[in-house]
Amino acid sequence: MEETLSQMFISLDFWAAAQVVLLGFIGGTLSGFIGSGGAFFMTPGMMNLGVNGVVAVASNITHKFGKAMMGSKKHGEMGNVDRKLGVFLVLTSFLGIRLAVWINSRLFHMSGDSHGAAKGAAANLYISAVFVSVLSLVAISMLRDALRSRGAQGGSTPSRKLSQFLGRLRLYPLISFPVADVKVSLWILLLVGLATGYLAGTIGVGGFIGVPAMIYVFGVPTTVAAGTELYLAMFMGAFGALNYAYEGYVDIRLTLLLYLGSLLGLYLGVYGTKVVREVMIRIVTGVIILLCVASRGIAIPMYLRQLGWLSLDPSWDTYLNGASKVMLFASGITGAGIILFNVFRAYRQRSRVRASLAAVATA
Amino acid sequence: MQLICVSRGSFSAGKELAEKLAKKLDYPCLGREELIEEATRSGIPVGKLETAMIKPHQFTERLAREKAHFRAFMTKALCERALQGNLVYHGRTGHLLLPGVENIFRIRVIADMEYRIRSVMQRLRLDRDKSRQYIESVEEDRARWVREFYGVHWDEASQYDVILNTSQINLDNASAALCSMAQLPEFQLTPASRRALGDLLLGARVRLALAEDPRTADLEVKVRSDQRHITVTYLPQQRKAAELIPEVLKGLEGVEDFTCTPATTNVLWIEEQYSPDSESFHQVVEVASKWGAAVELLRFLPEDGPEVSPAEEEFVEQGADASALFSPPKSGSSTYNGGIEDDEPEGRPAEDDGGLAAATRELTRIGIAGGSRIIRGTQQKMLAMLDRTVPYSLLVVGSVFRSKGHAAQTRLTRELMSSLEEQLKAPAVSPQDLKAYLFTRRQLGQLIACLVATAILFWLVMTHQEPILRFLTPSGIPFKILAAVVLALFVSAFAYLYGTATSLFLKWLKFE
Repeated sequence: MEETLSQMFISLDFWAAAQVVLLGFIGGTLSGFIGSGGAFFMTPGMMNLGVNGVVAVASNITHKFGKAMMGSKKHGEMGNVDRKLGVFLVLTSFLGIRLAVWINSRLFHMSGDSHGAAKGAAANLYISAVFVSVLSLVAISMLRDALRSRGAQGGSTPSRKLSQFLGRLRLYPLISFPVADVKVSLWILLLVGLATGYLAGTIGVGGFIGVPAMIYVFGVPTTVAAGTELYLAMFMGAFGALNYAYEGYVDIRLTLLLYLGSLLGLYLGVYGTKVVREVMIRIVTGVIILLCVASRGIAIPMYLRQLGWLSLDPSWDTYLNGASKVMLFASGITGAGIILFNVFRAYRQRSRVRASLAAVATA
Repeated sequence: MQLICVSRGSFSAGKELAEKLAKKLDYPCLGREELIEEATRSGIPVGKLETAMIKPHQFTERLAREKAHFRAFMTKALCERALQGNLVYHGRTGHLLLPGVENIFRIRVIADMEYRIRSVMQRLRLDRDKSRQYIESVEEDRARWVREFYGVHWDEASQYDVILNTSQINLDNASAALCSMAQLPEFQLTPASRRALGDLLLGARVRLALAEDPRTADLEVKVRSDQRHITVTYLPQQRKAAELIPEVLKGLEGVEDFTCTPATTNVLWIEEQYSPDSESFHQVVEVASKWGAAVELLRFLPEDGPEVSPAEEEFVEQGADASALFSPPKSGSSTYNGGIEDDEPEGRPAEDDGGLAAATRELTRIGIAGGSRIIRGTQQKMLAMLDRTVPYSLLVVGSVFRSKGHAAQTRLTRELMSSLEEQLKAPAVSPQDLKAYLFTRRQLGQLIACLVATAILFWLVMTHQEPILRFLTPSGIPFKILAAVVLALFVSAFAYLYGTATSLFLKWLKFE
């Protein structure tokens, strides 16, 4: 490969390609199971393979666009998409994405070789820092919520306190959304859209903000939140993909390899949600995200050293990168393994129950 | 024997009217409040349930189970009292607790807003505006309750036999008028109505027994009783706990035999003639097996459809342990019998049941039987007898109205399907449409085409990596725009082709 191209894109052999497909499969399974993203696993996974952070984000957001297109089509058929809400959020999220792309591009070009830094170290550090701080919050609140609802007698309905409080404030103008059956202040809509777009553009996981925000802040039913988020993700993904593609950061080979694994995993993950208890879904999700966060956190000293902000023996890079990679794969494979185990067990159980009933009927 | 249900509009003197009517007829009078008190004493959190049902998005899985528990409690209490003799019940659309029971006298009591405002002002000592607000809020809560509990709008006039405005007529005269109407033969319970009440009572007892036993209290089950045969459907993931159902039901009064079947969802299949060897049967079974759904069979005999022998309607021919067939009164018959039916004939095997028993046996053998029954009468009657709270996922309408000409049959079937969709909030399809849910040869072709196209695109990219990457990282605005647009189009096409191929592949593996 040409020198300029090889600086930006990794060289792909069979094993590297197989690892990207595996990343896609695990990310897709987790994404189908959790209902939002999967990028929290795929983006750092690709970075561990040596892909530049910005290329990993760009390739993943491009892959997410097609995946969301298929998902939102299916949700739309089931009436789970509030298009009006989607349109309002999408317009503001474009601003957020544009901001994220601008910051990422500036940081990517900013880091030079003065400290022996690899190109993109500043962008990698920035992406990792946002990733760790945002997803730690998401995972901890998800686990707290799941453990609370497991202990409580009343089941596991999301809290409406925040949406009711904001509703009482009556920040005009209020906009009514008939499918979701809620009224939301335009200003809150703009803020959430901007935050969702910014995170989607920065770490490729806007859904982790979009879905909880719709449920807890707007008071939208969970199924409509998931459907609308996919509708939103389709436009955000398209916009993000076009922006990153314009800047020339999308590695189409990675995008296609991710698809090979992720779409298959996605369907199996969705099947998993039907056979695993909801509290268990949240616990598994929270633990997987926390492990991914830890894996990314391990890599941060390496970027700090590359920028000359931390004195560390360069030989440590190998160990840090290796540890981060092992941890990420271990968490993803364990999570996907738990999900797939439940999927196949439920499938086998159903066949066994049917066979035993058939035997009783024949006797 | 008579059952009168008075549905009270808020502050419309419905309770007073029901009491006067009961007094005039010398019937016992039962109010919803008494049943609520009994339910609360038995440990059902009725207050919490009411709050959850009238506030949107507040329902938890546990409350959904409590709702089923509460419904079973109310049904049991009402059926027990109704089977003891005559009864006047007043509450919120109590007749909807008894789907399938005909000849209930259903009265709705309403009043003008002005009348109700005056009533609230006197009773609660509120000013005019506050009284109006109070009435509107109570009315909205009750309407929401009925919608959540029964899936209907309580102000829908077709739910009732009589709607009475108490602001236009005094209560004595109103009760006298209702008293005369109550003498009409249409409002006397028939043996078939009593049998339906008995079935509901048994089903409710079973549901309560399961709800009150700590081992099965958390199960999401649906209980159906057809002539003393109980069918309990549960979710596949609750298989372990469901193994305890037989133990709980053992020795329960009235339970002779029962079937437990796993189901994530229900398919209702309406036909005039069933055949376990037909293509339709195999298609329905395949779809239901893939979904883990229980199939409920409903043999619908339209009013002027094929004749059914009394034995067929009264006697239930069952397979090894198949569900019983429920037979409603022959109110659609041309000769009117004044609500009084002959004694039931001695049981003897049915000669022709339209293949219902054989189809039920086969479904039971496969493990997806969800009960079966016969309904004879008009389309409206059939719709009224369906339980709207059962969450059907699919309604399959086969060959019905067979005695009509082709055009009339098509039209009537289409009308029936749209009414079913509207009432049961589930898609209605014909057995031919089921092919869309199955893996057809055309889909196999589509799968192969999508896989080939995906492979070609993938091969093109992987064998021309360098030129493609160079094309995607150009300099100059027009080339950058071109690269971005080509990439977006290419990725959409690839996602569509590979997504379709994956979805079809999993469908082929029956892994949906």
